[in-house]
Amino acid sequence: MIDPLSGIAMAAVVVGLTLSTLVTRTSFFVAGAKIKLSHRAEVALRYAPVCTLAAIIAPDVLIHGGSALDTSLFNPRLVGVFASGLWLIWSRNIVGCLAVGMLAYSLARVYL
Amino acid sequence: MRALGVDAQYRRLVSASGPGSDAAARHAAFRAGRLAILPYLPGSCAWGLVSGVAMVKGGLDVPWAIAMSMMVNAASAQLAALPLIVAGAPLWVIIATGFITNLRFVIYSAAMRPHFAHLALKRRMTLGFFMTDFTFVRFMRAAQENTLPATHRDSWFAGMVSMNLVTWHVSALTGIVGASYIPTDWGLEFTGTLALVALVGPALNMRPAVVGAITGALVALLAHGLPYKLGLFAGAIAGILAATLTDRFRPRDPSAAEAA
Repeated sequence: MIDPLSGIAMAAVVVGLTLSTLVTRTSFFVAGAKIKLSHRAEVALRYAPVCTLAAIIAPDVLIHGGSALDTSLFNPRLVGVFASGLWLIWSRNIVGCLAVGMLAYSLARVYL
Repeated sequence: MRALGVDAQYRRLVSASGPGSDAAARHAAFRAGRLAILPYLPGSCAWGLVSGVAMVKGGLDVPWAIAMSMMVNAASAQLAALPLIVAGAPLWVIIATGFITNLRFVIYSAAMRPHFAHLALKRRMTLGFFMTDFTFVRFMRAAQENTLPATHRDSWFAGMVSMNLVTWHVSALTGIVGASYIPTDWGLEFTGTLALVALVGPALNMRPAVVGAITGALVALLAHGLPYKLGLFAGAIAGILAATLTDRFRPRDPSAAEAA
């Protein structure tokens, strides 16, 4: 058990979590040129960004806050994603797409 | 006299394409990297702010919240560990939670490894430690679109990472110090989610990517109840497998595609 008020325990937590960041993020970087992945693995890794982001975004938009799936068109987060997606396709402007998405999300929260 | 003049000119040319211009190319790559992440920074800023507020409101003392934010550099792991810390969970449970929440970065480092394999170990570790979801995805998209600089890709990445890091720390500190003044019911953190959408959207231009994204999203939703954010990791792995399978069965040659 750690006592959240104890300095030593908190220091151990901070050091341990910092290690978890270091070890996971530098894992394959440390191996560097010493390992060679198969062509199939390299192809698979090309899709890592898209798949991981989809797995982060989907629960954030559709489950956020609760435990049930909210796929209704009145889900303000879904409204925000639709609005910013349309703006992105139309204008290709990232900052504009964030602003439009937040605006649609806020309006949907207040009025829907 | 003339020969000397040519010689001097030649030497100037050599030095211009030597170390001097190499440093210039390095700086240019660094600056280009800073610009590449710029439009996505509102997302980092909102997440930093909200996670700073959450740490203090979650029950951490301000000095420990600052120490954790400055050292750990991983919002999702910090927020997953927070309730465990406050509840007084065993140390190993807290640290294991940090590791599991950070698992996706093992995939990220595997994906980026070939780009940085030639660098010195210290440089590789520094770049790895400060990588984030945003900077990783932005880098991989530039690699796929062939918009990375020809040389000094590490500096391009360092430019992105430094910009993102400063934004993150300034906003997290603001959140920690100003926790009681920052509204938590406005859903500011949604800006971060939208920035991820803006990052991933343009990459959905091929069938394997679309299949992978849909699979990843579905599995992450189904596995959402799993502890330690393992649902996210399961979704990522399932998505990558689905994308790879789709990639293998897609026609390689444009002429073969027309014939089919």
